[in-house]
Amino acid sequence: MKLTTHQLTACAVLTAMALALSYLEGLFPLTAAIPIPGIKLGLANIVTLFALYALGPGQAMLILVARCILGAVFAGNMNALIFSLLGGVTAMAVMIGLSRLRRLSVYGVSIGGAAAHNCGQVAAAVLTLGNGAPVYYLPVLLAVSLLTGALTGLVSASLFRALSHTGIMKG
Amino acid sequence: MRSYPELRPSGWDGLVAALVAALAVLCAAVTWTAPAEDSGSLTAVITVDGTEVERIPLDGETEQTVRGNGYTLHVVVTETEVFVASSDCPSQDCVETAPISQPGRSIVCLPARVIIQLEGGAASPDVDAVIG
Repeated sequence: MKLTTHQLTACAVLTAMALALSYLEGLFPLTAAIPIPGIKLGLANIVTLFALYALGPGQAMLILVARCILGAVFAGNMNALIFSLLGGVTAMAVMIGLSRLRRLSVYGVSIGGAAAHNCGQVAAAVLTLGNGAPVYYLPVLLAVSLLTGALTGLVSASLFRALSHTGIMKG
Repeated sequence: MRSYPELRPSGWDGLVAALVAALAVLCAAVTWTAPAEDSGSLTAVITVDGTEVERIPLDGETEQTVRGNGYTLHVVVTETEVFVASSDCPSQDCVETAPISQPGRSIVCLPARVIIQLEGGAASPDVDAVIG
């Protein structure tokens, strides 16, 4: 993939923002409010959603993979890489597909992505454990993803609205 | 194709949400209703990295130390429930999981690759019929 300096810079800034959001989210864990293990807001998905519309699927995927690898390196936990990658790539694939449906708004794309992310993570858990036990959590995670997906959709919609005058969406 | 996204939710977004909800219900129906049989005493089955390491019947209070993938978990088994009292894993999800007391339920520690699953029916009448 050939990137212009403008695109490369945008990707770098968005990757840094996604990492910062993941870190920020770790300071205020959703599990403290709702005691279900493994749930989180998925604030970094706002960046993915923005990149998908503003920069296109290729660069959005680039940002996602860079974020997952750097996140695992910073956390010093390479075991977590397969979880974030499988969750992230599944979410990305679903969001790329859904974003092509013209009738869907960012809300639908965001909810679909959040649900796909959970499916991908549970799949990663089943793969690493070699046991189907994690599927037990999937219904709860999917129910929560309706809320977190709608929330990140709301933030993304506000973001797009706020940036509409800048012309950034035209690339 | 770059496009300016639709920002107002419509019925189609509701459809996506409904599909996710339906998937959740379907998944719950399949995984949560498995062993409905009332089958006597419960056993906690502890699996590390895919291999079963311990089977503890729920007939008294015991504490079990489980090691997996460099982490150590302290599992407490009482007469009615099982929970992880402490763990040195980074995510602490296993400790935050509520105690389990129903057959089929499980506690999973991903970093340590430990699964604690409750199995019902250590009592023998699992046999369909005895002939002769």
